[in-house]
Amino acid sequence: MIKRTPFVLAGTIAGLAGLLSFRSTPASMTLGTVAAASAASNTASNTASTPASAPASSGSTPAGSGPSANTGAASPTTTVAQTTPVTGVHSATGPLVNYYFGILSVKVTASGTKVEKVTIKTINDGGNPLSQSIDQMSIPQLESQAMAVQNANIQGVSGASYTSAGFKMSLQGALTKLGIK
Amino acid sequence: MSLTVSVDVMGTVVTLSLFHDGDLDMDRARPYFDEAEHVLREVDRVFSTYRPESPVSRLRRGEMALGEAPPEVAEVLDLCREAREKSGGWFDPWAMPGGVDPTGLVKGWAAGRALNVLAAAGTDGALVNAAGDLASYGVVAPSQAFRVGIADPFSPDTLAAVVELDGALATSGTYERGSHLLNPHTQVRESAVASASVTGPDPGLADAFATALCVGGEAVLERLERLARYEAYVINFDGSRQMTPGFALVEVTAS
Repeated sequence: MIKRTPFVLAGTIAGLAGLLSFRSTPASMTLGTVAAASAASNTASNTASTPASAPASSGSTPAGSGPSANTGAASPTTTVAQTTPVTGVHSATGPLVNYYFGILSVKVTASGTKVEKVTIKTINDGGNPLSQSIDQMSIPQLESQAMAVQNANIQGVSGASYTSAGFKMSLQGALTKLGIK
Repeated sequence: MSLTVSVDVMGTVVTLSLFHDGDLDMDRARPYFDEAEHVLREVDRVFSTYRPESPVSRLRRGEMALGEAPPEVAEVLDLCREAREKSGGWFDPWAMPGGVDPTGLVKGWAAGRALNVLAAAGTDGALVNAAGDLASYGVVAPSQAFRVGIADPFSPDTLAAVVELDGALATSGTYERGSHLLNPHTQVRESAVASASVTGPDPGLADAFATALCVGGEAVLERLERLARYEAYVINFDGSRQMTPGFALVEVTAS
């Protein structure tokens, strides 16, 4: 066991090196809401059509590139006052948010307070070729793997996580609208 | 001891590991790692839907017949057909927009191909981790089985569960890039559960079933319950868990 440790670490470091080289290409993994677009999606009747032009134009602005961009997350969710759980099947769409490669929003369908389905409502990566060649999941997975392998007696980690903070942010917005959490 | 190599391929990072109760010499292991890497690069060259000139891309555009493509393509499509049938159509590469897209099975299948190369090294065990699609052979050391974690979908830094691994484990989550997390029945990107894991002997099928389970939820879980040698573990959006009776759960970590 003790003998094995240096080799596991070596693998971890190699993995992280791969990570860093990915990271250096686009700006950063920081996320923020797209102010104009998310304000629009917060209005009550954001059911069917999200204007396709809005994500594209907003996406070109580097709104989410600064390290403080995450603070933008607070505004869309707090403006929604509805917290009373609704009965029956209902759905809500979270705010449009920047993510690593573009813009997305998440739609939640619930029956009462039980979430039945989560859907990517809008996704627009602006045709970014990087987003097609890099598996978005792999970076955070490797991070958690690197940590977990050092902390537990395990040889690997499997799993998809809500590692796109943007996804999580939009999901949270939709859940709040539904009065779930 | 163990040796691990990371390969930057298929738009992700794949780690290759050899385990042995005793010394492992990198000079002797190197040819196996190199060959496994070569196998992965070939899979990428043939199957990538992001490379316009890959055989699969050309097949999708109707520029190449299946008979003209490398034989691995027909092999993978046969496996896709099996996965479609056994998942009740919840995994369906033929329902993807833009032509047949085996992406939801290829990563696991590729992990299995790389594993076969590593297994030939004759160590106690080997493990391939293709960004969360795991394929294992043998053991970590005599009487020490592989144990692997399932990431917590709500907290990327922590594990939701630990599993004893004999064969393959694939996990699919709500937000995965690529068109394969598409409901084949509705053509909408959606998921029924937060995280879906499947263990079983074939890494390609485990990958496809995890995708199907993530999209189809309960309907697919019922099918996997009846399917021999494949077991499943589901984390619902409310954090609750479900699993098939034979799932080799070692411990659960609360979200």
